Order: sequence, then C-alpha cells, then structure tokens
Amino acid sequence: MDDRLRETLSAMMDDEADELAVRRLLSFSDQDEVRGQWQRWQQIHDLMHGTGAAADSVSPAADVSAGVWQRLDGVVPASEHDSAKATGRQQWHWPAVAMVAMALVVGFGAGSGWQNAGDPELIAAETAAEQNTAASTAAVSEVSLQGLDERQRQQIRRYLLEHAQHNSVGAGRGSVGYARLVSVDAGGY
Amino acid sequence: MIHSILKQAETQAIEPASAGNPSMTSSIDQTAHDQGDSQTDLQLVRKVRNGDRAAFDLLVLKYQSRVASIISRYVFDSHEVMDLTQETFVKAFRAIDRFRGDSAFYTWLYRIAVNTAKNYLEARSRRPQSSADSADAENYDDGQRLRDIASPEKLLQRDQLQRALNKAIDALPEELRSAFLLREYDGLSYEDIARILECPIGTVRSRIFRARDAVDRHLGPLLNHSASN
Repeated sequence: MDDRLRETLSAMMDDEADELAVRRLLSFSDQDEVRGQWQRWQQIHDLMHGTGAAADSVSPAADVSAGVWQRLDGVVPASEHDSAKATGRQQWHWPAVAMVAMALVVGFGAGSGWQNAGDPELIAAETAAEQNTAASTAAVSEVSLQGLDERQRQQIRRYLLEHAQHNSVGAGRGSVGYARLVSVDAGGY
Repeated sequence: MIHSILKQAETQAIEPASAGNPSMTSSIDQTAHDQGDSQTDLQLVRKVRNGDRAAFDLLVLKYQSRVASIISRYVFDSHEVMDLTQETFVKAFRAIDRFRGDSAFYTWLYRIAVNTAKNYLEARSRRPQSSADSADAENYDDGQRLRDIASPEKLLQRDQLQRALNKAIDALPEELRSAFLLREYDGLSYEDIARILECPIGTVRSRIFRARDAVDRHLGPLLNHSASN
C-alpha cells in the first residue's frame, strides 16, 4: 500500500475521505494490509481517547471480526448466550405449542365434522369441494343461499346472531370451529 | 486562543492524569468524534449492504473496543465480554438493512450492544452486575472499571503504552503535532484546522497522516504485543 492510499485511509479515519476514495481503498488488492493499518490507527485513537480501556483489560485487542465471520458463516455454533436463551424459551414454548396444536385439532376437527371421520366418500367430497372453493367462493356462497324458504332464512339469521355473540364473548377462540359445526340444515333451529 | 487550545490538547496527551481518568475527556471528545464520523460509517454501511465484507471488517475494527467497553459495564468475565461483543456485531450485520441512518451508526450499534448485554443477563436470570443503563453508560468511568477488573500485568502494559504514546506525540515536529492534536482531541475538521494553521487543507491532511504514521512506528512493537496478548 503506497503512501497515497495510506493517506486516504488516514483521511477516512477522520471522516474526510469521499466515497470514491473509500471505494478505491476497499477495492485494493491486499485488504489484509488495509485492515492491519486501520486496526493499528484505531488502537492509537482508542488509546488517545481512553476508549476501550476496560475492554482492553478484559479482552485483548483480539480479532473480533474473525469470530464474527465464523459465526455468520456457521463455522462456530450459536453462542452460550443463544443456547441459554433457546433453553429458556423452550421451557415455555413446548407447552404453548402443545396447547395451540390441541386447540387447532379440536377446532378444525369439530368444524370439519367428526361424524364424517372414517367415511372415505365424504372426506373425498369435502376435499374436492375445498379444492374448488378458492376459485368459486363467491359463486358457492351465492348458490347456497338461493332457494331457501322462510324457515331456513330465519335459521340463518339466528345462526349469524349466535355466531356473532360467541365471537364477541370468546374473542375468536373456538368460535370458528363452532361456526363450522353449526349447519344450516341442522335440526333444532 | 489557538495557543490555549493547542496547550490544552498537548497537556491532555502528555500528562498521565488524562490517562488516569480517561472518561472525563473521552466521553465528550468521543461524542463529537462519533458524530463527525457518520459519513464514513454510512459509506461503509452502504458497501456492506452491497455485500462488501471488507467494509464490515473496517466497522468491526473501528468499534470493537468501544463495544467491548460498553459490554464490560454489564459483564465482568473476559470470555463473556468477547462472546457478547461478537454477538453484537453478528446482530448488527444481520440487521444492517434495517439501519435507516436516522442516527449515527455508532448510536445504533451502541443500542444493540446494551440490549445484547441486558438480554444475556436476563437469560441467565441474573441481575446486571452494574446499575448502568443506556443513559449512565455514556458517562461511565471506564478508568474505574479498569482499576476494578484489570490484572496488574494489563495495567502495567497499558501504562507503558500510554507513556510511549505521550512520548511519541511529544517527539513529533510542531507542525505535525498541532494538526494531529487539533484533529484527535478537538475533533476539528480539516477545513477548520487549515484555517487555524493557515495552510491548505491538503497540507493538513498530509500532516495528520504523517503524524499518525510516526506515532504508529513509535508504538509499533508495543501495539503488536498488546494485540497478541
């Protein structure tokens, strides 16, 4: 590295180098030399300002960046800190995950109708219906509401009211499954 | 006035008292210096975003001591300090796209370091060993912490370095020393220094480089020794 480039590096330390100069420095072939010079001048700067006095005493002016790259490249596994955090999280994560999984199973199981479980034809029909749902949601909902008599319309109104009530009371928890479980054609309405 | 500035700066560099309690001068000078450094940092950050690892290396080398210093206010063990310092930079690298440049890069890095140290202590279910928080950390007495936790060997080594530095600065030709100290201790821009010293900016730039180079050569073996320990 010639003196001109080193002078640019010095100016860079003082925030007096323009972007072109920075680019030129970073594209210099021997980056180890640039790095070494930069590190030494930074050490002098730190020494002059008393910065890093404590740091020097507890950790040598070691090559932190080597460790950083090892971690970023996955050469070194997650730090002890990460492990501690992960362990801490796992302690409450697993019960939480289990609870969510259980709620989903109950919700979707109930919603999809456990009475149909084991009936291959119904399952196949439902699967086919689900596959078509995305393409024709609007059409299906429109069709399904056509041709209802007055009794069925009242059932729907009551169902919607009840659904809204459950939604507000349960803040959404379980109400989706409940809504799916209740059928327009179900008796008792 | 110029004379008094130079005299003050020289006194800070030469008298061991300034080394004995560095935080008194360093926090103020450092703040001014950090604010002035933002352009270079932003240039380097832009390079890092474009995948330039060498640029991130320069940022790490520039701030590793300061980050380690912040973390050592919360954690005493040297291995833990090193570990958390590395973790701070890993987090910074991963989040570099989220750095908007609203604040100085160092301020952003500082917050990451403090949070990393605090999270570490929390994860270990320990109370912070220091009551320092983000606000206190600015004015924390590094010198006191140094006396608290440094080994006698480290203290001696640092003392030797400080004396060698003072000697090296003292040995500089007057014109180099003036420019160098006005920059390092007063944080003046090259333009302001040029105005004070009544010389072209290019001359200031050259003088500061030559001063830095001379000090580096003077401290050479000691710096190598420090790095290898």
